[in-house]
Amino acid sequence: MSVSVAPARAARPTERRRRRSRETILYLTAAVLGVIVFAVPLLWAVFRSFQPESLVTAYPTWKDFHQLTFANYSGIFGGSIDLWRYVANSLIVALGTALLVTAISTLAGYGLARFRFRGSNVVFAVILVTFMVPFQAVLTPLFLELGTVGLTDSRFGLILFYTTFNLPFGVFVMRNTFMSLPVELEDSARMDGAGTLRILALVLRPMFLPGAATTMLYAFLASWTDFLGALTFLTRTNLLTLPVGLYNLEAGNFGQLNYGYLMAGAVVSMIPCVVLFVALQRYYVRGLTSGALKG
Amino acid sequence: MTSHADTRRAFRSHAQATPGGIPERPRRSLTHPARTGVLLVSPALVLVVLLVVVPLGFAVYISLTDWPLIGAYHFIGLRNYTHLGQDTVFTHSIIYTLVYTGIVTGPILVVGYLMALLVRSNRRGAGLLRTVFFLPYVIGLTTLSFFALVELQPGTGAVNWMLQTLGITNGQTAWLISVVPATGFICVLVVWGVSGLTMLLLLAGMQAIPADVYESAELDGASRVKQELLITVPLLRRTIALSLIISVIGSLLAFNQFFILTQGGPGTSTATVVLWIYEQAFTNLHLGEATTLSIVLVVVIGIISAVQFLALRRDEP
Repeated sequence: MSVSVAPARAARPTERRRRRSRETILYLTAAVLGVIVFAVPLLWAVFRSFQPESLVTAYPTWKDFHQLTFANYSGIFGGSIDLWRYVANSLIVALGTALLVTAISTLAGYGLARFRFRGSNVVFAVILVTFMVPFQAVLTPLFLELGTVGLTDSRFGLILFYTTFNLPFGVFVMRNTFMSLPVELEDSARMDGAGTLRILALVLRPMFLPGAATTMLYAFLASWTDFLGALTFLTRTNLLTLPVGLYNLEAGNFGQLNYGYLMAGAVVSMIPCVVLFVALQRYYVRGLTSGALKG
Repeated sequence: MTSHADTRRAFRSHAQATPGGIPERPRRSLTHPARTGVLLVSPALVLVVLLVVVPLGFAVYISLTDWPLIGAYHFIGLRNYTHLGQDTVFTHSIIYTLVYTGIVTGPILVVGYLMALLVRSNRRGAGLLRTVFFLPYVIGLTTLSFFALVELQPGTGAVNWMLQTLGITNGQTAWLISVVPATGFICVLVVWGVSGLTMLLLLAGMQAIPADVYESAELDGASRVKQELLITVPLLRRTIALSLIISVIGSLLAFNQFFILTQGGPGTSTATVVLWIYEQAFTNLHLGEATTLSIVLVVVIGIISAVQFLALRRDEP
């Protein structure tokens, strides 16, 4: 009866519904494909690290896949390679950098956000220009400079290097963080006679912690994953960070290259990145976009 | 450090792009004395001056000498600069780095854009997908290169195994000992590894576009593809430009994946600019030449950064 009228009205919703289900199928296909392409290689790497070396360097066949072992891990952590040393060095350097960057950026960010002094704009500009200087480009002068004062082949020297090149980001984040906080709270604390550091530590701390977490996360990941800086500034084997230690493994400095060991070592270096990112993703993304979002 | 330097660069550019979002000046306050401010910024300033400004000046000085790592050096004026063209490895490394940059830049943008499209919706699993897409970037190209090294071995690596299973190759490809396969593989590895950053940048831009823009387009019967090309892309052009610049600078500074996978070889055929600077300085001990190359690099990156800065400024609505 109303056959001739209804389709005209129903056409759009039906079409839209059809389009929506088509899109769902497309989405699911792409999602599955995406997971296969991006997650499976990483899972595969973990799986490989549990294969005996003889299988890592043999033609892969399905029937061997059940043979799993901790041999690679016990190989790199026990015996002559002692990867713990490199893990420890990396942890010391990355944690040291993260703490130092956060402390210095918090002070500087607070200073730039709240205090007016002659040259404060110049200071901010100088720190920001550092953003544009790729650290790769000052390696030779820095190597000579740090060498002169005995800071090459030193974990502390490496921490200073990483700290400096992470500072612009940290100062930026912390300055924006402090600018977004109300000034009244500090003023009343100051009237009550509290000093600057006391105000920072007691009154403002809960409010700047998210910004500090972002700064710390970036600085940690940057120094944990750095290769070129550590390669340049460290030569003594007992000071190497994990990526350079793995490179030495590759280069055969520990005897014949064992691919199983290399795989296990690379998995070890991957773990903190994955754990930190998955746990603190919010702060990471926030760091990436906070410039656009004000604070 | 390279990869995270990119993110930080992204961050800086974002901030520049929207100065309106940040209060222009620190608020005046009588309870905030200037001297305290100077004290607060001094640790940061001292580090930046000592480890960035001084080395930059020192670099210019070194570039005017024939500095060996050990022993006396002599002033040779601008000879390092005038002889740049004679360093055939350097000129080759520039061409090679530009070609590499040319190959990876487009795919990184396209793959990143497609990822962003996929995770933009609030469909189930979009959050997980976003994490998965970004993980390779967080892990970094150094670790990924070690994985790749194992899986590229002829006859035993998973890459060859997969290609053979699919019937594409005979599984014996020695990827890393000749220029074209090595470069090709590294390009794939890099696109796979860093597109996640472009995704996150574009995603932030996409989420800032109000939904009603699309609703009206939908009512007008515009297809999804049309909506993307006519609405999203034009609105995102600044974010797109930004992510392009970030990936270009990252590519121009490429080092880790080449050093780990090919050591610049065979010979110096896959040596990037930074890799050659490193080799000249720390293997060949030609610090004067190496530093001259560094200065060229600083200038090039500086020009790109300045152009980016000016372009984003001028584009301000």
